[in-house]
Amino acid sequence: MLGHKKSVSAKDHGAVKGEPILTLSDVCRSFEGRDVIKKINLTIKRGEFFTLVGPSGSGKTTILKMLAGMDSPSSGDIVYDNQSISSIPPKARPTCMVFQFLALFPHMTVGQNIEFPLKIKGVPAEERYDRACQLMSMVQLPEDYYAKNVMKCSGGERQRVAIARAFAYDPQILLFDEPLSAIDAKLRKTLQKELKALHEKSGKTFIYITHSLEEAMFMSDRVGVLNHGVLEQVGTPNEIYAHPNSRFTASFIGDTNIFPVRVRPEGGWESSELPLSVVLKVKQLDRNIEGYIIVRPERLRFLTDGALADNAIPAKIVAIYSLGSSLQYELIAGKKELSLQLSSAHAPDYKVGDAVTVGWDADDAIFVLN
Amino acid sequence: MLLVHSRDSGCALLCKLWIALVLVFIYLPVLCGAVSSLSKSRYFIFPLKAYSWTWWERTFNSLEIHTLVCNSLLIAIVVTVISTLIAFGGALAFARYSWRGKRLYQKIILLPIFFPQPVLGLALLLWFNTLGLELSWATAAFAHLVWITPVVTLVIAIQVYGFDPTLEVAARDLGASPWQIFREITLPLLWPGIWSGMLFAFLLSWGNFPLSLYTTGVDNTIPKWLFSKMSAGYTPMVPALGTMSTIAMAAIMIVGGLLVKLHHRHQGRA
Repeated sequence: MLGHKKSVSAKDHGAVKGEPILTLSDVCRSFEGRDVIKKINLTIKRGEFFTLVGPSGSGKTTILKMLAGMDSPSSGDIVYDNQSISSIPPKARPTCMVFQFLALFPHMTVGQNIEFPLKIKGVPAEERYDRACQLMSMVQLPEDYYAKNVMKCSGGERQRVAIARAFAYDPQILLFDEPLSAIDAKLRKTLQKELKALHEKSGKTFIYITHSLEEAMFMSDRVGVLNHGVLEQVGTPNEIYAHPNSRFTASFIGDTNIFPVRVRPEGGWESSELPLSVVLKVKQLDRNIEGYIIVRPERLRFLTDGALADNAIPAKIVAIYSLGSSLQYELIAGKKELSLQLSSAHAPDYKVGDAVTVGWDADDAIFVLN
Repeated sequence: MLLVHSRDSGCALLCKLWIALVLVFIYLPVLCGAVSSLSKSRYFIFPLKAYSWTWWERTFNSLEIHTLVCNSLLIAIVVTVISTLIAFGGALAFARYSWRGKRLYQKIILLPIFFPQPVLGLALLLWFNTLGLELSWATAAFAHLVWITPVVTLVIAIQVYGFDPTLEVAARDLGASPWQIFREITLPLLWPGIWSGMLFAFLLSWGNFPLSLYTTGVDNTIPKWLFSKMSAGYTPMVPALGTMSTIAMAAIMIVGGLLVKLHHRHQGRA
């Protein structure tokens, strides 16, 4: 075990954090003639927390399976450390997966589960025990859980066992298949924080998949947004939020206001979803004549007492929801439903049914082509 | 409140009485058999005039009975081993994997269960005659297998259906070879099903009469001997042997149950 550990840490030593560790080039996967994954090009950096996010059916699990070796690309290549791993079986790969439903071995204790990969490698029992105890303390499991059956552990504890077991395999890359999806919201937040802390402490590369962009942004260094097998956008959580490159990415997180817009022959912009008398001011860099603008709910504001904005539209309040620290107003302008969010501390004295004017500045809207 | 309470306890009492009646109905004949084996007299008369262990001793020391027990044991053990092996493979095949002809296979393997056993026994006897096979414990074991293997397959298949194949995928991902996956994951998790399948196979073979009647030839088994002695030449060795057999099978069940419990304790489930 010591020898084994040494060889891995020596390998770690030579590796520079941030250099490419895994590259997918033109990876495609089709099932019975249907393209599920369409030409994915992606580079994962050593030591980063990368999250693939997409709705169900977007192909994120398929990509993860190809990385783990449970599936292989129809075409294209997956390269790890300058070596193609597309057709290498799981046991020879530097990856280990934490499964959606954890796949803990129900006939084993917590300790036996964590020790499983070590037992397979033929590590002697004493060293296995020591390593299991280290890993248990790393994931904050009490030592007396060693002899407890996994089926008697709570959801959060099982999560930790599954993560410790994956670490015991000592992979370079850990793959996570939505392991937190079945956990209640409050515990999920705690586990997300722990997972992020664990990532920083361990220095391993994490590849995580989820259908929740909130979860992705909360934990990740970089996020890749997947839609119908196409990688729509890759970037830091901030980039994804502030500069989405498509309506899909923009609408993937929370409620958002999207207007189709086009240049008016007389100058200015108009939207087919707003009264045509409304002339919009739109900021964009290229000379496009149509596209979409995205206005986040917190960027939309009430124009009261003569307040001004680049764009102003009359609307009516349909509903008011409290989100605790903020309030969310559902409005209707013509046929267009809008959503406006503001801090509870600055909430105006509006009621459902009130006629108001809402607006936004051109700088606060994001222009996308599709 | 008091009224409800008394009505409840009245109902509970009725339930208990009913259960007691059912138990008496089932077990009284067995008990009578056991008691009659303790009679000193040669004939089956109630109430017993004098008690004695004479017939138990005679049964225990009888060479004929030794041979019977050996034959029955031999057949039951052979049937248990072979049927469990076939059934385990069969259950895995039809509960885990999908392949052409699977539905047909499922139906064909269950067919012998629906066939009346005496008819099945006779059919097999004719078949053995046609093939020129001499009847012995081996032909009896074969006949038992035809009927018992489907039952064991069903018993094991129930366990296989409840098995999550992701566990094998996970074990593979953690570096295990196919043989290691089978030894460490598949077999231990299916073990309860295999164990109950084995118990079923043993007990069904041990107690089988209609198939043995046609297929044992000279190698007599316990149920066959019991039947022939009851038809003609009754001796209190009949209830004595019957009682011994019942006690032995109950012991097997208890030991089996204890082993499963021990196994669970070992896994930290207790």
